[in-house]
Amino acid sequence: MSRETTRPRWLNAADLAPFAILALMVVALALVPVFTQYTVRTANVYDIFQNFASYGLVALALGLTIIAGEFDLSVSAMYLLGGMVAVLTGGGSPMVGILVALGTAVIVGVAQGGLIARFRLNSMPVTLGGYLVVLGTTYILGHGKSVIYEDYNVGLRLDEPILQIFSIRSLVAIGIFAVTIVALRYLRVGRDIRAIGGDRRAARVAGVSVDRLLIGVFVMSALGAALAGALLSYSLATASPTNIGVDVLTFSATAALLGGVRLSGGKGGAIGIAAGVFSLSVLQEILAILRSPDYVSSLITGGLLVAVTIVWAPELSQWFRTTRVSASLEKDRTPA
Amino acid sequence: MTETASPQVLLEVVDLSKSFGPVRAVQGLSLDVRVGEVHAVCGHNGAGKSTLVKSLVGLVRPDEGTIRFGGEELSLRNPLDAQGHGIALVNQELSLVPELSVEDNIFLGGLDVPLLYRRRRLSKQARAVLDQLGLGHVQLGTPVEALSIGERQLVEIARLLVRDARLLILDEPTATLSKPEIERVFRATRDLVAQGRSVIFVSHRLDEVFELCDRVTVLRDGRRVGTHEIGEIDRRALIELMLGEMEGAKAMVEHEHTLPGSGEPLVTIDGLTVPGSVEDVSLVLESGLITGLAGQVGSGTSTILRALGGLVPGVSGTVRVRGRPVLLNTPRRAVDAGVLYVPNDRQREGLFLGQTVQRNLIVARLRRLSRLGVLLGRRAHRTARELAGMAGVPVERLGSPAGSLSGGNQQKVLLGRALELEGTALLALDEPTRGVDVGGRADIHDLVRAAARRGTAVIFSSTELDEVLDLADVVVTIFHGRIVSIVPRDEASASAILADMTTSHATGTAAAAT
Amino acid sequence: MIARVGLERRPLGIADYALGAWVAILVAVTVYGAATTTGFLTVSNMKAILTAASFVGIIAVGLTVIVLSGSLFSLALGQTAAVSAMFFLYSVRWGLGAAIILTLLLGLAIGAVQGFAVGAWGANPIIITIGAAGLLEGAAVWLSHGESIVPPDNRTSWEHLANPVLGLPAPVYVFIAVSILLAVVMRRTRFGRQIYLLGENRVAARAAALPITLLTVGAFGIASLYTAGSGILIGATSANASLLLVGSYTYDAIAAALVGGNAVTGGRGSIARTALGAIFIATISDMLLLRGYSTGGQILVRGIIVVVVVVLTNLRERNR
Repeated sequence: MSRETTRPRWLNAADLAPFAILALMVVALALVPVFTQYTVRTANVYDIFQNFASYGLVALALGLTIIAGEFDLSVSAMYLLGGMVAVLTGGGSPMVGILVALGTAVIVGVAQGGLIARFRLNSMPVTLGGYLVVLGTTYILGHGKSVIYEDYNVGLRLDEPILQIFSIRSLVAIGIFAVTIVALRYLRVGRDIRAIGGDRRAARVAGVSVDRLLIGVFVMSALGAALAGALLSYSLATASPTNIGVDVLTFSATAALLGGVRLSGGKGGAIGIAAGVFSLSVLQEILAILRSPDYVSSLITGGLLVAVTIVWAPELSQWFRTTRVSASLEKDRTPA
Repeated sequence: MTETASPQVLLEVVDLSKSFGPVRAVQGLSLDVRVGEVHAVCGHNGAGKSTLVKSLVGLVRPDEGTIRFGGEELSLRNPLDAQGHGIALVNQELSLVPELSVEDNIFLGGLDVPLLYRRRRLSKQARAVLDQLGLGHVQLGTPVEALSIGERQLVEIARLLVRDARLLILDEPTATLSKPEIERVFRATRDLVAQGRSVIFVSHRLDEVFELCDRVTVLRDGRRVGTHEIGEIDRRALIELMLGEMEGAKAMVEHEHTLPGSGEPLVTIDGLTVPGSVEDVSLVLESGLITGLAGQVGSGTSTILRALGGLVPGVSGTVRVRGRPVLLNTPRRAVDAGVLYVPNDRQREGLFLGQTVQRNLIVARLRRLSRLGVLLGRRAHRTARELAGMAGVPVERLGSPAGSLSGGNQQKVLLGRALELEGTALLALDEPTRGVDVGGRADIHDLVRAAARRGTAVIFSSTELDEVLDLADVVVTIFHGRIVSIVPRDEASASAILADMTTSHATGTAAAAT
Repeated sequence: MIARVGLERRPLGIADYALGAWVAILVAVTVYGAATTTGFLTVSNMKAILTAASFVGIIAVGLTVIVLSGSLFSLALGQTAAVSAMFFLYSVRWGLGAAIILTLLLGLAIGAVQGFAVGAWGANPIIITIGAAGLLEGAAVWLSHGESIVPPDNRTSWEHLANPVLGLPAPVYVFIAVSILLAVVMRRTRFGRQIYLLGENRVAARAAALPITLLTVGAFGIASLYTAGSGILIGATSANASLLLVGSYTYDAIAAALVGGNAVTGGRGSIARTALGAIFIATISDMLLLRGYSTGGQILVRGIIVVVVVVLTNLRERNR
């Protein structure tokens, strides 16, 4: 990879932001024992990785659709459906459950991506409808209630600490992130996804097969959400048609945007998203260590999401310029 | 620079014809391009250049005629198909993705790019092509958005070279470039030709044609009027070929010319500058006077008008309306000051296509047609009827979506909304008759004259000579963002203006028009 | 550049027929369902449908202003409704009138702030409202200490808001009244007209010097104001309020606006369409409920209807 003429991408200040934020969070975590009576243990690091395992893949899934210039509102429902399908069909073998969940995800992804690509639809309303369909299906499958997964051992094995801080579940998530990072960087498809998000017309004119990529992205998105949901359901030995814990959509959108993904499309990558997920996971762990109530996490996540969105808002700088010029003009006028 | 006595022909176009509805864009056009030459195609607006170019890359299917390329007869379906055969087009609208790196863009969409594509071989190939184009200083990993427009154009060319284009069509490549960038594009072009590739160079800028090209083909009214070795023709003769009968025609359309204005300077523009496109433009616009900005696409005429309309961030200079300075940083302020800008792109920026004609007509005077925020329905309807009548829009179509009207009528709606608006000091019309047929054009010109007669100052931009000569009282020629000449219409001649519009060395001096 | 040959009157396209067929299918299914579902065609059931439609309907017609203005939709509506209900039941101790006014003002402010970020800075409306939803939830739990809000015992004036008037529950009248009011505003006022224009073409709206920021603030403000109004009625009806009220109001309201056939991209549609959409969805839900379908079945059917209508409206709008 030593292309001597190439300036490494990571030297870009804006591209560094996600890692700076992550570093900040880690420093904050390290400072917790210094300034409070609480201590930070290895178990806390384990928790962070567990959190990463639970939400990371959803953030990756959603992030991919944003990089491609779209948005998948259905991920939070797909997360629940993945868990439900895995628990219902994985009675004999958890592997089978996961495969069925992934198969379901492919169907959902092809349907949504196909409609969006074929009819050039805005992905927001389509995936909103998709959200309802997927959520409804989850309810129906679970008869509106939580479903218990009989084999507790599966969950225990998935979450059993490895090297104190990892578990099979978090290693799976980390592994998938690693594969995605490599794929986006070294395969043609990574470049093409950024291309259709950056300037779809140009990509089409240049000869990129936009429609196939779009379908692929929505399939990937559904797969990521379903896998994370399936693993979490095994881990909790239960699947439910209603949200467990934090709102998945808020968490993953915030993580992706903190990770340098732009809503305008075309920018960002899997490493950044990983950094974003870790940042939020560390933050939540800090709040947990400090025994702060849930709402604090809601407030901070929501606030972060709003802040990041505004910072990258396309007309922000122009607004400031206009306002400043107007103000200076008013000042010039008053003395006269 | 033909090396041998019988040069090899790469592209041969025979008897090409294409009509759009009743309009014959190209008729019986023939053309040949030799291996290793830069072949200029010149012609005034509407001469058929763009139809010719589009036919060559499969964007338009000719009605008749054949295109032979390297001896093979082609029937092209789309630009990608054309590229597969070795014909590639570069125009203003580049197909680069700004967020991606130079290397990624070069290989974007390529058919033979492997799935695992970051190989040293590819990087080397990209590097070689870039070096060849004089982009040795550009690094492969730099995102395209960090490059200048000229460099981007060369990256686009690099992509086409990697795809092995043997004939490059450069459509107005220099319109938005700075001097050094133009030089760079020219150098690259000469190198390409030296390697045995061919280039079709479509341009309005005659000095560039003389500087770069080997032969020139002139089109007029969809036909070829001649092909000449560049050494055999001079600028004057070329302009005459392009204009044809126009000088004569001009005498016929002589209008009763309302004697310019009241002499009352309504709007003064002083040192208007937009970094990168407009430099130090100063004009005095009088009440009742129609000022025409003549300039080619990308010359800055459009930007001047947009700036007046408050739509260009970062403008500097002073604009005074009735003696009061106006800060033009939002459209709202411009309108409040009495400057009404009418956009050139009626589909995108001008009209609300899905809304009714009535709603479009009264959009600028909603405030006047409402009391305490409530619309006065009857008065709104009456006003819309009046405006439609005045603008010549069929009144029975007031309730139809604007998008269902013909192009000419759409343009009238757009103009109609700016008519007879109290407090208007200046109408700034950007290409007021773009895409409008002859009859519609005459109607629109009458509307503009009527508006001026009522005492408004009018400024409009046009790339079309006959429109400028027909409508303007004062002709201001713009080249590369600067005023080249300011001439009262009676003294203006088509050839002089065309020369100013197409030449980089200024012949006139910029001063206030009086 | 060739003048576009005037396509002076648009012929009916395939999408129109498809949409027509779809409406016909929906009507047929509804009629069939009405005839065969026991207990559907009763007065009390009709009342139940109207009541159910009212709470969602008020939110949905408010949301329609956002849709028409071209800012897609808001994902913070359920939270706004719940927070408003909680605030109303808390503030009723200061008197009913004060409680209503304060709650409405709170709703207006919540929406206006979001609208400002979207209108002035071009921030993505979906993400802004997702973030706002998180903030509202956090703030609500924080201020209520995670407990349900119940109104003070000594004041029962709020109960009138839930009582039947002339046989129909009060929210139904409110729904009808505020729908008509908003329909008039959108048709007859300068604000309404400008919202349509903005939604139709934001670039053209800018060139025509329309006050884009103000309009967007207004659109989100109205949506949020209406949602707060619905929150008041919801709070008064259930007599206790917590975040559990968030429920499915957000998605139901969006579904109503979309099912009504309003163009997602803005500029085309009407308040009446949304009101009908809300009633239609309530009807279908009620019918499914009576026939013994679960919550899941109802959500699923809603989702399918939304997707089909979105595809068909989009195709039809494109043909224009």
